[in-house]
Amino acid sequence: MVLELQKPRPVWQIMFSTHHTDVGYLYLVFGITFLFMGGVLAMIIRTHLFFPGQGVLISDSATFNRIFTVHGLTMLFLFALPVANGIGNILVPIMVRYKDMAYPKLNAIAFWMNPVGAALLWLGFSDTTWVSYAPYSVIRAPGPAADMFIFGMKILGISSILSSINFVVTVIKCKHPDMPLRRVPLFAWSMLTVSLMTIVAMPTYAAALIMMLTDRLGISGFFNPWAGGDPIAYLHLFWFTFHPEVYIFLLPAIGMMYEIIPRFSRKPLYSQASGVFAFVMLGIVGFASWGHHMYSTGMDFTTKVVFMIGTLAAVPASGMHVFNFLATMWGGRIRFSAPMKFSVGGIALFFSAGAGGVLNSAMPLDFITHGTYWVVGHMHLFLIGTIGFGFVGMIYYMFPYITGRMYSEKLASAHFVLMFWGTVQTFFTQHILGLMGMPRRVYDYPTSFTSWTILNQISTVGAWLIGASFVIFLASLIYFSAKGKPANMDDPWGIGGKYYYPVAAKNPHGGHSGY
Amino acid sequence: MKTLIAISIIVLVAIALVPQIAHAQLAQQTAPEKYLDLRATVWNEFFRMTTAAFTVGAVVSGTMIWLVWRFRESNPKNKAPTRWEHLDDPAAGDPEEGH
Repeated sequence: MVLELQKPRPVWQIMFSTHHTDVGYLYLVFGITFLFMGGVLAMIIRTHLFFPGQGVLISDSATFNRIFTVHGLTMLFLFALPVANGIGNILVPIMVRYKDMAYPKLNAIAFWMNPVGAALLWLGFSDTTWVSYAPYSVIRAPGPAADMFIFGMKILGISSILSSINFVVTVIKCKHPDMPLRRVPLFAWSMLTVSLMTIVAMPTYAAALIMMLTDRLGISGFFNPWAGGDPIAYLHLFWFTFHPEVYIFLLPAIGMMYEIIPRFSRKPLYSQASGVFAFVMLGIVGFASWGHHMYSTGMDFTTKVVFMIGTLAAVPASGMHVFNFLATMWGGRIRFSAPMKFSVGGIALFFSAGAGGVLNSAMPLDFITHGTYWVVGHMHLFLIGTIGFGFVGMIYYMFPYITGRMYSEKLASAHFVLMFWGTVQTFFTQHILGLMGMPRRVYDYPTSFTSWTILNQISTVGAWLIGASFVIFLASLIYFSAKGKPANMDDPWGIGGKYYYPVAAKNPHGGHSGY
Repeated sequence: MKTLIAISIIVLVAIALVPQIAHAQLAQQTAPEKYLDLRATVWNEFFRMTTAAFTVGAVVSGTMIWLVWRFRESNPKNKAPTRWEHLDDPAAGDPEEGH
């Protein structure tokens, strides 16, 4: 918004624009806004659990359920997906050397479905948990909150499918004829992979939502045991969509690291081909592992073994990404500016979270950790440790591009240290809490369980550190976008080469055409 | 380097899969009434897997820490520009070299 801040134009012009950079900005502003709203809910939850038996901040368990439900929904569907789509919107057409997304109007429509879905989720404030398992969500969950949740998710799902179709067509059909698909930059490859996964996975959940709605209305009984339905069927439909969705959140962050690491290592990527192969592999094996969320539902032994092996099949592909990053850094001359710090931190935590996932995928161990805080720690270590770090690094990377100004490297370093320390302290501790038997999603726990109290307090202090780091982030974004030093748009970090993507964006409203 | 990566991936897969297959075979042979023994087996499995995960984790994390220390631009051994830095865009590499 080099444009917006230096050559202001009416807000409505951006809001109703169909240009890919404008839609990308809208996605980014939307996603970052909800990151902070969801973050406030997380702080409330963790602060509440710091004081067992006192009902601090949250007075009853029903409200607690609503808060962690909306926290989860917000972080996954109103922060992670929109930010990935925002950065994808800005960069993918430029990377494939096309003037815009394939269907610009559809692109804008897909974005504007997000505020509608967000309003339904936040105004409803459902208590179903983000997974909304049957039979509770069908039989007992109070309306209209649960119904608003269903419609909100439906709208967000349709938005995801529309934007995915747009990315697939943009990359495959609109790329420059001189650019073979294997040469398309890996971030664009990551968006292509997750878009294909979304198109395959999301309709199943869309169907499950309709079945849930008709069950709630009493028209059908798909998941209602009193009407002869099977709640386990909902789990299958849900996890068939949402295990791949884990990769849909993850792969764009990996793609962002592929953008950042070679540039700050001042050398080419070690292997484009292995990156492409690993993305495709993860895209396929992501569909072979949904059953590992359901080991304890009474599956037969053979099925469990199949899902266990399917889950472990993700390990080699994930390892290929990690080795590719390490081999790229090897022999480079690395400048540890903020984007690189967050990328390297993200790789380290990706590896830690992955190791926990390997343990978790083994069915005998899964029975011990199922439904405990181990799962909370594992999931958050992935979501914050890898996805959060990748996204934040990329936002710092794009800061000069979007604002024309530089952020403060010192404040960004403080953000990194606090966020890294806080992530390790909060979520490693939650793994231990899980092994000690603390169930997830509990409103309170006995004060006589001293070890639980201590570990919860350690975890909460870590969460406060993460919260403090994001206060620094927000202050930096606001202050330096207006008052920061003008960036050298050819080479903002002084690492040589070209910070070349901005040059190629041509916004007819005047935006980036100045560069 | 490519050979090293290939070997590492094979080792990683073996470390991850072998205990699983061994346990699956063991579980099939175990009579259901030996509940307590099975529980001990589960915890043994947990500690074995943890050892494997921490070993691999230590190797990869150690490599990463060494990489960060050795190839940072402020390292005195790393003052000379890389051979790609004379290019317009080092990250894009030299097409003639195949990058």
